[in-house]
Amino acid sequence: MTDTLDPKQVRQRTFDPSKTGGLNAWLSQTLGGAVTITAAALLGGGAVQENWRLDVTVDGGPHTGAHAWLMRTDAAQRLALSLDREAEFAVLVAAHAAGVLVAAPIVRCVDASVIGRPFLIQAFVAGQAQARQIVRHPELANFGDRLAGVLGQALAKIHAVTPMDGRLSVLPIPMQSPAKVLVAGLKAALADASQHRPALEYSLAWLDTHAPATPRITLVHGDYRTGNYMLDGTKLAAILDWEFAHWGDPLEDIGWLCARCWRFGNDEQSQEAGGIGSRRAFYEAYQKAGGEKINEQSIAYWEVMAAAKWAVIAILQGDRYLSGGETAIELALTGLMAPEMEFDALDGIAAIDAARAKS
Amino acid sequence: MAKSTKPPKAKKLSAETLIALAAETLKAEIVPGLSPEKRYAAAMIANALDIARREITTADDAALWAILDTAYDDGDGTPAQLATDIRVGKITEATHPGLGAKLRTVLIAELKVRNPRFLRSRGLKI
Repeated sequence: MTDTLDPKQVRQRTFDPSKTGGLNAWLSQTLGGAVTITAAALLGGGAVQENWRLDVTVDGGPHTGAHAWLMRTDAAQRLALSLDREAEFAVLVAAHAAGVLVAAPIVRCVDASVIGRPFLIQAFVAGQAQARQIVRHPELANFGDRLAGVLGQALAKIHAVTPMDGRLSVLPIPMQSPAKVLVAGLKAALADASQHRPALEYSLAWLDTHAPATPRITLVHGDYRTGNYMLDGTKLAAILDWEFAHWGDPLEDIGWLCARCWRFGNDEQSQEAGGIGSRRAFYEAYQKAGGEKINEQSIAYWEVMAAAKWAVIAILQGDRYLSGGETAIELALTGLMAPEMEFDALDGIAAIDAARAKS
Repeated sequence: MAKSTKPPKAKKLSAETLIALAAETLKAEIVPGLSPEKRYAAAMIANALDIARREITTADDAALWAILDTAYDDGDGTPAQLATDIRVGKITEATHPGLGAKLRTVLIAELKVRNPRFLRSRGLKI
């Protein structure tokens, strides 16, 4: 996220950093202090949206001082499965209030006339979020289990947020098993997809038939994995990418982090949690911090779900290459990855079925 | 009879060879001089070229047709139809025993083209 791009080299952008007057005025009015943007830099990493670092000074009101902020525009088209920025902002506010380490949410603008598209602003958090850099860190063996533990504690805080708090009415509460709701959502998301894939449908049908009961519905991050948290050195600095947040089964996040497709090639048993640390370090810290009781069989189900969900997202991403732009080849190649996740899903299903047949 | 003066026919450069040459040149001549950010884009291009080359040399639909032929009258089935029939529960492990294992075989054929390294990471010898 910290690579800076030259705005001239890429396609037409929503925000024009040479014209900050409208944004200054809107921010000043909304935040109750005179806001001046002193610098704006386009950041890499947003395949479908723009991420800008804004250096600002605020004179007057609760935000007085000099700040670095992150401005994220809405994507031109969002994935059928993801939240819009307004709902995401509400989730960020709730997570921040619950003590989860997130970049503090500052303000949300739904008026497209201010910069050309709705946007949200958070505190800018510097650090390393690149999954491949993190899993290849030369010191990983020394800090991986500690980091896995910290991620377990952070996840327990996320899962402490429940619909009962009444803070997040923007998210729909599942009316049946969250696993079934998720499968239905994935099937619906594939309706307009260019590929209809038998192995994926087989996996989704199995997931539906074997959907577990969820004793306690909680806030689920929905994309909790290496690549979606920021490290400051080897310390956790912020949990990122909340656009897939929803009410659901907390074990979904655990299956997602531990699924083979999110280990980035670090498949040793000592690194099965996110490709960075051991499951034991992650599970123990999570449970000790008040998270759900974990049994391995339930997690195996959610790892199949993770593979199927990532396959669906890959197919949807792949279809977006048609819209062109500098990320077209990346999107097209992502679309071609679906059989990798389907392969893991089928192997996961076979292993669970074999274990059940034995017992 | 007069001897033919026609020159010997040049061997036609195949699409496969052409793509392989392009990928090779990219990796050997271009990539080493690139900045880390551009290197990522170049790696994607090399990957795309490799997939395209294997699409020509390695693509094998036999496993897919083996399923389609048992599930449908000859020639009637398509992957999309099969996907739909699995979704609505018309074709299941109960109606077609071994369906999951057969679908896995289809994926292996597909992954031989798209990502053979993935198959090796899953312990398959290819």
